[in-house]
Amino acid sequence: MTNPVLAGLGLVKKYGSTVALDGVDVSVGARDSLAIMGPSGSGKSTLLHSLAGIVRPDSGTVLLRGEAIDKLSEERLSALRRKRFGFVFQFGQLLPELPAEENVALPLMLEGVPRRQAVERARRWFAPLDLDGLEHRRPGQLSGGQAQRVAIARALAVEPDVVFADEPTGALDQTTSTEVVRLLTSVTREQGAALVMVTHDADVAAHCDRVLQVRDGRISNYTQFTVA
Amino acid sequence: MRSPVLPLTWHLTRASGRRGVQSHLLAAGAAAVGAFVMLVMIAATVGAGVRADRTAWRTPEPARNGTAVQALATTYVRGEPLTVVSLAQLPDRAATPAPPGLGTFPKKGEVYVSPALAELLHKLPAGQLAGRFPKPAPHASYGTIGEAGLASPDELVAVVGRAASDPAMSETAATGASYFDQDQAARAVVAGFSGTKQSLFTYGDQAAALLGVVLLAMPVVVLSSAAGRLGAARREQRLAALRLAGATPRQILGMTALEAAAVGATGALTGALAYVAALPALAEVPYGIGGWYPGQLWVGAEWFAGVVLAVTALITVSAVSTLRQVVSSPLGVAQQANPRRTRMIRLVLFLAALAYIWRSTGGGQLKGRDYVVLLLMFYGAFWLVGPWVVDRLGRIAARCARRPATLLAARRLSDDPRGAWRTVSGLVLAGFAAGFFSVSMLGTDGSQYRDQVAVITANAADARHAAAEARTLLDRANVNAEISVVPEDDYDSLLGGSRGIVAQISGGQARLDTAVTALASVGSGHPPYTQDYATAGDRSIVDRIADVSTATLALSFVVATASAGLTAAANVLDRRRVYGLLRLAGTPLRVLDRARVRETVLPLVVLAGGTVATGVYGSYKFNHAFGASLNVSGALELAVCVLVGALAMFAAISGSRPLLRKVTADPAQAPD
Ligand SMILES: Nc1ncnc2c1ncn2[C@@H]1O[C@H](COP(=O)(O)OP(=O)(O)O)[C@@H](O)[C@H]1O
Ligand SMILES: [Mg+2]
Repeated sequence: MTNPVLAGLGLVKKYGSTVALDGVDVSVGARDSLAIMGPSGSGKSTLLHSLAGIVRPDSGTVLLRGEAIDKLSEERLSALRRKRFGFVFQFGQLLPELPAEENVALPLMLEGVPRRQAVERARRWFAPLDLDGLEHRRPGQLSGGQAQRVAIARALAVEPDVVFADEPTGALDQTTSTEVVRLLTSVTREQGAALVMVTHDADVAAHCDRVLQVRDGRISNYTQFTVA
Repeated sequence: MRSPVLPLTWHLTRASGRRGVQSHLLAAGAAAVGAFVMLVMIAATVGAGVRADRTAWRTPEPARNGTAVQALATTYVRGEPLTVVSLAQLPDRAATPAPPGLGTFPKKGEVYVSPALAELLHKLPAGQLAGRFPKPAPHASYGTIGEAGLASPDELVAVVGRAASDPAMSETAATGASYFDQDQAARAVVAGFSGTKQSLFTYGDQAAALLGVVLLAMPVVVLSSAAGRLGAARREQRLAALRLAGATPRQILGMTALEAAAVGATGALTGALAYVAALPALAEVPYGIGGWYPGQLWVGAEWFAGVVLAVTALITVSAVSTLRQVVSSPLGVAQQANPRRTRMIRLVLFLAALAYIWRSTGGGQLKGRDYVVLLLMFYGAFWLVGPWVVDRLGRIAARCARRPATLLAARRLSDDPRGAWRTVSGLVLAGFAAGFFSVSMLGTDGSQYRDQVAVITANAADARHAAAEARTLLDRANVNAEISVVPEDDYDSLLGGSRGIVAQISGGQARLDTAVTALASVGSGHPPYTQDYATAGDRSIVDRIADVSTATLALSFVVATASAGLTAAANVLDRRRVYGLLRLAGTPLRVLDRARVRETVLPLVVLAGGTVATGVYGSYKFNHAFGASLNVSGALELAVCVLVGALAMFAAISGSRPLLRKVTADPAQAPD
């Protein structure tokens, strides 16, 4: 991997006396997928949040296509997350009163894309994610797996550089999990984005190119499944 | 085994930190406001009834073996009604008991006055007031009417002892001498003071106050349930932790109920005690004939307990039902599978009600009570159509929306139109009441008699004689007047078809009072009267409704603003997860905030505008039936009120902006 899209170098984050991250180096390239695993409280979320510009590390730096993002203002960081990153969370990230297609179109509209165009672009993601015919359903009318796929569509709609997923299958059963993570990895790769995913499920992690094991804020193990 | 619910609740309540305490305080404050407002309005209703009964003795109740003649007359000083009860013991009959408020039955020439009248007699020159009564004997002074005979400490009442042959006691003086006498004059041979007819100046008080209770009930219910929701939304945050700790949904609901009931009861009781503490101050608030005697405004233990319990129950039920939706969903998130559609039937019923009201008012000839019923129907019709309008509004706005904030607001409106309606209903209906009443504060059609004094005479010859006499008396009293003899069939004059004279006075209210006093002895024994006398019947109801509406309007604003603020805060807490995650994903907070404001402002502007207009129209119909004209300054007042109300509402919603910032700031919201 010669030219990483996103790299974290020497990341350290402390909460009082708790050391959440203790010098972590990590990088992902385009079409690359990275799973972060580890026991509860080991620092997985903190690592993901640091890479995504949600949490500022105490030391170390985060480079997006070679540019440091950890010194940007809150405003710029927020815009960066909106435009260049996509997010998938465990559950509850869709606005319950918006139909699926408008949930997907929302980030585009926030970028100033006219509504009709935004909805049109949003609809293009429904077929690849097996969501055909669900455009007008509201989140309450979707199954857990369907809702997660809509969330994936929303994350990808802005055509981001990196998709961050924090336990995207955490609220799903085994079969649904497999299907969701399969689509997440494949569609993200087709789109040309990198994927950083936190999971506690080894089967889910196995869909990624590489797996990082985190323990007490450090990388304890590193597995490469495929040759990038 | 002892249930762990109670100690666990206590522990969690104490451990819930500053935000927990704040939300408890807010909920308790809302309960206090609700209980206070309801008790004050109920007190006015109960007190108005008690008070009106105190006036009943003044209207004579004919008795078969009567012992005395009683005559009721009303005269006006400084525009205020002064009730004069004349009493004459019939010779050779048994003694008549003393009237309420007096120690003995008054002898001829004795005058008893209420404290407020005594004060006024002291203040005004004798030529303007005292001259209307018999002079007290040298070195004697007026007697005082005690509390038992009075409805209000501010009431102007006189009891005058006369001879049975006095012209003031004559049949013609009191009964049917004037077209306007209805309920202001009466005469009968009585055996005591067992009358049951409430005075004209108090009998509409209770119905008007009851209207206020009804108009305020819904806003208070909305406020209470908003308070309950707030507690539950916060409780939901701890739901996951409680479940991990092994609490069953039943226990969680039990804890929530207990906590909400404790907070609600504390608040409601505080509000109720504040009402008790405010009783002396409330007694000073004039309503109709004036302020109140202590005790009149005490609602009684049943109402007191009833209001406290009702507010507590509302908060508890609202908290439990809010949380139940969450507990029963597997992910602990309140999700509505289907938007609650509002059906067309609401509009149909609304239009039917309007058509019915329009037809009923078209004919005129309706009694005050019919109007109250129609008004309530009007009010109910709005509760029916409100959610429907909100729903349609949401869909139209969603279709037209270009910006994400507008789209979000519009979708939320049609997602829960009833909830959105509840938030704005208080202000919308207050706007309706304001539209209706502020325009009703009317000058009744009587201004043509301004500055006139009418004297009734027995016949045409008497009238000419009275005119000459009046000229002399008015000259002596230094009053400039133009006196005309009015023919019997002039129904448009202040005499309303009676024979007599009308004096046109120049120089204002003091001169008018002087003229009334100077002419007291002229004519058939019926006291001279002014425009106030002629319009008293209409004004007694309309003025009271106007009083109540002003109070209702002010209180509704307070209640509606409080519930809008609470609802906005509860909405933020309800959605803190999705808002938090959206913020993590880079959604600017101001978009979410704008959506929040728009989802209230949009229906507020459309509905408040609509109802105010309808209220003005309704008032027009109402006034029309009473033969009165619209009040323009009332309309202006109304515009200012609605604007101030909307701004207060806006401020109340913006008040939860820091809360939004805070609950979305914590990245730990994201699950690990
Ligand atoms: N906002 C925070 N404030 C204080 N401590 C935190 C905060 N976020 C995380 N931590 C602590 O940092 C450590 C790592 O947390 P986290 O990254 O969430 O772990 P994981 O996601 O692997 O469970 C834990 O000990 C946690 O308690
Ligand atoms: Mg975590």
